[in-house]
Amino acid sequence: MAEVPARVVLSGGLSRRYTGGVQEFAIEAKNLRGVIKAMDRLYPGLGEHLEEETTVAIDGEIHEVGYYQPVRPGSEIYFIPKLEGG
Amino acid sequence: MDDLIPKDAAKPLKWVGTRPIRPDGVPKVTGKAQYGADFNMPGMLVGAILRSPHAHAKIRSIDTSKAVALPGVKAVVTSADFPEQKFEYVGPERVAVNFWHVTRNIMAREKVLYEGHALAAVAAINKTVAEEALALIAVDYEVLPHAIDVEDAMRPDAPLLFPDLITRGIDPPPSKPSNISKRIEFKIGDLEAGFAAADEIVEMEFKTAAVHQAYIEPHGCVARFDADGQGELWSSSQGHFVVRALTAQLLGMRLGDLRVYPAEIGGGFGGKTVVYLEPVATLLARKTGHPVKIVMSREDVFKATGPTSGSAMTVKIGIKRDGKIVAADGVFKFQAGAFPGSPVMNATMCAFAPYDIPNARSVGYDVVCNRPKSAAYRAPGSPISAFGVESVLDVLAKKIGMDPLELRLKNAAKVGTQMVYGPKLSHGGYVETVQALLRHPAYKTPLKKNQGRGVASGYWFNGGGESSATVHVNEDGTVVVATGSPDIGGARASQALMAAETLGIDYAQVRPIVADTASVGYTHVTGGSRVTFATGIAVVDATKKVIKELCRRAAMIWDVDVEGVTWEDGHAKPASSNVGDFKPLSLKEIAAKRALTGGPIGASAAVNPGAVAPGFATQFCDVEVDPETGKVTVLRFVAAQDVGRAIHPSYVEGQIQGGVVQGIGWALNEEYIYNAKGRLDNAGFLDYRVPVASDLPMIEAILVEVPNPSHPYGAKGVGEVNIVPPMAAIANAIENAVGRRMTELPMSPPRVLAAIDDGDKS
Repeated sequence: MAEVPARVVLSGGLSRRYTGGVQEFAIEAKNLRGVIKAMDRLYPGLGEHLEEETTVAIDGEIHEVGYYQPVRPGSEIYFIPKLEGG
Repeated sequence: MDDLIPKDAAKPLKWVGTRPIRPDGVPKVTGKAQYGADFNMPGMLVGAILRSPHAHAKIRSIDTSKAVALPGVKAVVTSADFPEQKFEYVGPERVAVNFWHVTRNIMAREKVLYEGHALAAVAAINKTVAEEALALIAVDYEVLPHAIDVEDAMRPDAPLLFPDLITRGIDPPPSKPSNISKRIEFKIGDLEAGFAAADEIVEMEFKTAAVHQAYIEPHGCVARFDADGQGELWSSSQGHFVVRALTAQLLGMRLGDLRVYPAEIGGGFGGKTVVYLEPVATLLARKTGHPVKIVMSREDVFKATGPTSGSAMTVKIGIKRDGKIVAADGVFKFQAGAFPGSPVMNATMCAFAPYDIPNARSVGYDVVCNRPKSAAYRAPGSPISAFGVESVLDVLAKKIGMDPLELRLKNAAKVGTQMVYGPKLSHGGYVETVQALLRHPAYKTPLKKNQGRGVASGYWFNGGGESSATVHVNEDGTVVVATGSPDIGGARASQALMAAETLGIDYAQVRPIVADTASVGYTHVTGGSRVTFATGIAVVDATKKVIKELCRRAAMIWDVDVEGVTWEDGHAKPASSNVGDFKPLSLKEIAAKRALTGGPIGASAAVNPGAVAPGFATQFCDVEVDPETGKVTVLRFVAAQDVGRAIHPSYVEGQIQGGVVQGIGWALNEEYIYNAKGRLDNAGFLDYRVPVASDLPMIEAILVEVPNPSHPYGAKGVGEVNIVPPMAAIANAIENAVGRRMTELPMSPPRVLAAIDDGDKS
């Protein structure tokens, strides 16, 4: 039986720039590397933008983007602008 | 190995949570610590920088010939000596760097864009000659009209800083250039329906002044450069790896050819995460073959380094009669300074973050104007938007007759609350800060005439990111912990505490140091309240590797399997009586046998931890307003903050007190004052008024501890969120004291007096 895909969401700014405004995607992957690869297949070049320009929230937990971050079936994944403090 | 670390109450902690003296304390209080300006080298030259007297002007020509000819001058450089950079935004949107802009900020090219903008630099045998040489540099300017304030700079007829700047973030892109560099929008729910369902709606406009981080130590550095192309830099910064990266990029060097040493730092607060002097000093050192030192004056610091943005904003919030917030809308316009890149994106993301609001929108504008390029300042952006949001909430609480803390409690964001920027909140801690103040005995005490009490809350993301640490066991069993994180708030003490706790040895046995860029792995800046969290994880990871190695050495000494050895209270012990009857081995005893068991003992760890827990703060203050002068005196300030677990409570309290005091200065006095020519009139601490001890009550810090499951000892970032609430808390208190709603910062005596007088007239 196929696993429940993760719900992947791009912020408005990212979707405007890179996906023609499409914000939500259903992606099957075991880790963030898989998510990025799948997104890059949909929009060639997007993967590099996600790696370089975003922070990711996986089920609400905010991480720097790392290939190794695990993704569970049905996870909610938001790519948001990278954060920096003072 | 993870079970070596005591969790919560499972095993009492011996060192984490205690308050030993800081390892860097003695050299600092005896004046022996070496800050950026304290390094000296044989044959060292003095560098000085020529700065623009104009807010905005074309540079027709720069003639340095007379300066070059002056005896004692060894080199003069201008922008022509720096390689040109490609025009492209590199890196994440919020902090995208465009080196075409950065190189022009370091040294102006076609135009000067603010008073104090660097134009040329000299290296000479002493300061007198260097300054004489600056006076001999002839610059032919064509002075242009300027725009200082954000709303002026946004007008269609405003003088343009860049003739081809097209606003990003608008679809389709505008056809004409403007000073608006970027528009950002975040939105959830249905804003229109949300406001339609509201019983009370309040919409207000606010303004905040640009304020400087006001670190006591001016920027300073020493550079040297060898004939083989290898350079070295000593500099006071919040991140020597970032200094290396920026300097190397601006000079076209390889990272491996530049070694940067961290000086002690006399305050940064975000303002020392960028470079100003380092590329110039390195270039002068390369050109002359001598070491070159450059130190800014206080005037240079104010005129040429990053303050945080001034702003104009509109905030609209709708609530039901029972206090439930149903809709919120904010438009935030931020001064970026002379080049794009204000913290407006953070402001839009943090503005409503403490609250569960189903329908919300926040819009931001990043606007260039003829001021120094803004730089990060403690929770960059969040305090500015919080001033508007927390003020409007106070007005709404009054309208429905609800206690302002109860209003916040009713709407508090909890685990699972959706943030306006998308994801759901995954860590709590806010509710507990509000409850801590509701329980505080002084919250309900009566006040006298002209006195008022105000409350406000704040949110900050906190940070994770890349950090490295190395732990060495010395020959005598003492331990060195080396990290790449400059210590701006007691980091060394905290790292030593975590290493001592993990090893089970005394804090005094651990010597923590900040290592240079060639001696420890890459470590991101000390900023974003990330160091105790991220570098702390690196330290604990490296320490655990050392413990594993110590157990292996003990097994060798006892001639048993390594599984038969466990680590407890700083000693290797047999894991069970079946292993044998061995006397526990101390760190010192194992270190003494190091050569026999394989050589020196040490380990490194490099991490990029995520699952960052954000920071929440809620504060109340009591103020008294003098109706004759408009002067506001802060009588009491109580600041509750969720800190996860305080590794060194004194330094956590210090962070909270420091953030609150900077917030009080921002609220009451601090501002950049420009004259009609676009020149800064108060570039010094006499006229730019930061709070001093005699202005302040004792700031009462309440450490709310909701442990962070993502950190081995439960730590959360603590350095920034404390500066978010004070401006609104004080404005709310002033309103309760004298019945005047202040909507513009600073709430200085003339402004408060004018509000009182205006109210009396009406």
